[in-house]
Amino acid sequence: MKTTRTTPTMPSTPEPIQHVMKLPPPHVAGVSRDPSAAEGIRDPIVRSQNLHLYYGATEALKDITLDFPRHDVTALIGPSGCGKSTFLRCLNRMNDLIDGVRTTGVIELDGRDITDKSLDVIELRRRVGMVFQKPTPFPKTIYENVAYGLRIAGVRRKAVLDEIVEKSLRRAALWDEVKDRLHDSALGLSGGQHQRVCIARAIAVDPEIILMDEPCSALDPRSTTRIEDLIGQLRGQYTIIIVTHNMQQAARVSDWTAFLYEGALIEFGPTDRLFTKPQKKETEDYITGRFG
Amino acid sequence: MDKAIIRRVQRRDRIARWTITLGGVAIIVSVIAILVLIVSVTLPLFRPPRDEIVSKTALPAAFSDKEVLALGIDRVELGDRAARDSLTGYVVTQDGRFTFLDFSSRHTPSAVGQVANLSYSTRSVPGALKKTLRFVENHAGTRYSLLWSDGSASLVDAVMKPRFDESGKRSVEHELRTLAAFPPEKGPLPLQALLRAAEGGAVTCVTLLPGNRLSVVRRVSSENLLGEEETIEHRRTIEEGIPGPIRALALDGTGKTLYAGTENGCLAIWQFDAKGQIVHHEVVPAFRDKRAVTALAMVFGDVSLAVGDARGEVTVWSEVRRGDSRKLRLLHRLSQGGKGVREILPSCRKKSLLSLDGDGEIRLDYVTSQRNLLRLTGAGPIRTAGYAPRGNAAIGLGGGDELVVWKIDCPHPEVSWATLFGKVHYEGYAEPEFKWQTTGEEPKFSLVPVIFGTLKATVYAMLFAVPLALFGAVYVSYFTSPGWKNTIKPVVEIMAALPSVVIGFLILLWFAPLLGRWIVAVFTAMVTIPFVFFLFLLAWQGVRKLHWAKRVEHGYEFLVLVPVMVAGAGLACAAAGPLERWLFRSYHGMFTEWLFQVTQKPYEQLNSLAVAFGLGFAVIPIIFSISEDSLSNIPYSLTAASQALGASRWQTLWRIILPSASPGIFAAVMIGFGRAVGETMIVFMAAGNAPLLDISPFNGFRTLSANIAVEIPEAPVGGTLYRVLFLCAVILFVMTFLLNTVAEVVRQRLRKRFGQY
Ligand SMILES: Nc1ncnc2c1ncn2[C@@H]1O[C@H](COP(=O)(O)OP(=O)(O)O)[C@@H](O)[C@H]1O
Ligand SMILES: [Mg+2]
Repeated sequence: MKTTRTTPTMPSTPEPIQHVMKLPPPHVAGVSRDPSAAEGIRDPIVRSQNLHLYYGATEALKDITLDFPRHDVTALIGPSGCGKSTFLRCLNRMNDLIDGVRTTGVIELDGRDITDKSLDVIELRRRVGMVFQKPTPFPKTIYENVAYGLRIAGVRRKAVLDEIVEKSLRRAALWDEVKDRLHDSALGLSGGQHQRVCIARAIAVDPEIILMDEPCSALDPRSTTRIEDLIGQLRGQYTIIIVTHNMQQAARVSDWTAFLYEGALIEFGPTDRLFTKPQKKETEDYITGRFG
Repeated sequence: MDKAIIRRVQRRDRIARWTITLGGVAIIVSVIAILVLIVSVTLPLFRPPRDEIVSKTALPAAFSDKEVLALGIDRVELGDRAARDSLTGYVVTQDGRFTFLDFSSRHTPSAVGQVANLSYSTRSVPGALKKTLRFVENHAGTRYSLLWSDGSASLVDAVMKPRFDESGKRSVEHELRTLAAFPPEKGPLPLQALLRAAEGGAVTCVTLLPGNRLSVVRRVSSENLLGEEETIEHRRTIEEGIPGPIRALALDGTGKTLYAGTENGCLAIWQFDAKGQIVHHEVVPAFRDKRAVTALAMVFGDVSLAVGDARGEVTVWSEVRRGDSRKLRLLHRLSQGGKGVREILPSCRKKSLLSLDGDGEIRLDYVTSQRNLLRLTGAGPIRTAGYAPRGNAAIGLGGGDELVVWKIDCPHPEVSWATLFGKVHYEGYAEPEFKWQTTGEEPKFSLVPVIFGTLKATVYAMLFAVPLALFGAVYVSYFTSPGWKNTIKPVVEIMAALPSVVIGFLILLWFAPLLGRWIVAVFTAMVTIPFVFFLFLLAWQGVRKLHWAKRVEHGYEFLVLVPVMVAGAGLACAAAGPLERWLFRSYHGMFTEWLFQVTQKPYEQLNSLAVAFGLGFAVIPIIFSISEDSLSNIPYSLTAASQALGASRWQTLWRIILPSASPGIFAAVMIGFGRAVGETMIVFMAAGNAPLLDISPFNGFRTLSANIAVEIPEAPVGGTLYRVLFLCAVILFVMTFLLNTVAEVVRQRLRKRFGQY
């Protein structure tokens, strides 16, 4: 990032930006690619309206109103501590595990408010999968890791499990590497493979949305590339919301980008527009590396 | 960086490394040293018996022409050095003389064959001038029943008293003391005579008369009304009830039980009362093949009878109680030799027997363990033999009037793997049993009851402690709020700081009596607490949607549940009284009465439940603390990842947390187990210490550790008990060592497996 002190309007290194610009606009039915239509996404899968979140007395998220387009990749960027992870955790209610969290506002998933206390969080979490920053394979075999979500849902039939495990591993681009050692411990794999096991594990329960919280920040560049490629392949089937503090990565993998700053949503728009023509001063400052 | 600083850092590093290495090595060395020390104390138990010929000399010429009727030997071991042993042999010759020979200087084999300077002195039995000996019988070590050619009989004690003069040189004084004498009777000359002087002054003389008759004379002295000494003789002749021609006789020390062995393989027993009346008579056809009984002797303890037969076999018989009747039964078969058994000589300290068979071979057997200790060889066929009262020497007269003396080194004949770990048929018992009992004539050293006691203590304690500690650990590490966790954990760990003597004391004086009073309530609580609990859970379903209930469900459940448990316990206490009266109404309304009627064993206040509670109290903090640590060490990210996949808290606990923490939990349980196995003070104070072999929770037990604590003050250093107690220590050491090793290995695996988190 230090090398990219060019003009305020030319953010980041030239290479990823070119990559983004060369990328054809994603063709997904029902979603307008027109930057001017950014605020009015036609078929949003998740809508967050006036969301406030408090850790005890401190307000970590301030009045976030944001729609996530279906089957696209949306990146959440922003400086450390701005609330990206907190926001992401709101989407599958993982904040419930943390003491003293309070929210106001509404998050709708296909029209249903998921902040409702009577909502079945287990059902929600099956629909909204999550991949964490640090790869968290369970101390089980690769097979059992991927089958975990199915097993806890009560799937017992081996044929079903076998099929889904294979499909998930294939989708996670890991099948060829592990097909001969499915019953070895997952802990024996490399860091990049761990993360792909986690992705396969998330895919296995067939979610609609996959939340990824800085999935590559603990990985080496090669593994990062593989995960990014994987995200590219999953686009179109799943709605992916990815938190990253790496702007090139956001530019490379996402269709949409939201910029958060100090708990507030500053700007949201198609990735290429946000990176080339940011409309807010803070966005511009951030993507040009003035802070963060 | 500054070179000096680097050097200093390196120096400190080196010092630290050396200190740590030294400490570690020192610990390992001292542990091994302790093990070597206790093992070395136990080793003599298993050393095979040894014999050594210390003297082989021709009979002194002065009396080599007289017929030798009996031999005797006495060895007194003074200190560790064999050179200071006193070793005196004696020869009883037909002319009624005892010739004492001093073998004390013959403690090395080099002296074998040297006839010279074997000092001897001869004593005649008083009044034996014109008589010769017809028959000699030995019992109680140095006591001889002598039957003279004129038909008179006397009981003589060969007394050997060591004396030390001013220079510290030892000499032995010999003396023959006549304890009783019976004048000749009218009629034919007896063939054998057995005399016994019982404590209290009663003397019995049993003679075998030609024509297969027995005569019993019992001389009782008492004070008459005038304060004068009065002697009454009760006489009786036995002609009836003798199953065949008598070959051998044996009489116990009191003279009240007489055994006879016959030509046709039968044993007959007579029991007399104080006045010589027959109170019990029994004939046992002992051998189906009707082999002749050729020798009889009372085994040390005067209860069992050793029987030598014409086949060269020695068997041991004892009266076994069967219901109300007592019957002479075969208890042990000892080693077998050639031809007929000529002589059986018992030791006076232990239940070992020396037997001489028709081939002139001497065998040493231990009765209870049925163990052949030795065959004394190296001297050709032996005609007559003698056995030291302490069982530590033997003497034999071989062909060519050669006198052979053996030193026997077998200090622990009663111990073998079979007696330590197997069932043994002790005399007086109906069946072979595992028995630990160190008092009495025959110490019983079965380690099975104490090992069983150890396991019983441990298992009961673990049954109580493991669920509590593990559930507690799971709750504290996974469910409760961090604030409470930081309070509960140190409090539980403080429990570990409580000295076990305090726990034992409280159990002994406070808890055990309380438990005894409320035992029914304890069992009732096992029903009422879950019941109240269940009711509460049903009620909770109604309120759990409320905001405050949600907060309770996140780490404060116990604040609500403790009153629920107390309510359950209170209900149990209230219900216990009426319940007990009703349930056990045909047993005076008492549980203990019912227990006694049903199991035939009383309710002991110091029982396994009380100990389990105390021992559990000592073990819980260890298991809790270690397993809580290992549960808390499971990274939070795993919990989060599992829940993000839609797992509930229980699913996450069962499928992720517990399996991942299982090695640590296993290690915790093993270490707790090790602690419970070795724990001494609590069981010592609260378990009653009866070495029972009974799994009932209502009686006590004795553990290995408590066994050592109970017995060691009574155990003479170097004795069998002392060494067996050290063996207990070795077993304890091995048990705890194994448990801790397993726990440690598992823990290392855990570290390897979860190290990357
Ligand atoms: N469990 C928590 N308890 C209290 N405050 C938290 C917690 N997690 C995050 N925060 C605070 O909320 C803010 C947002 O954090 P986070 O969402 O992790 O930021 P980001 O992921 O963007 O780096 C930070 O100020 C952080 O200190
Ligand atoms: Mg974050």
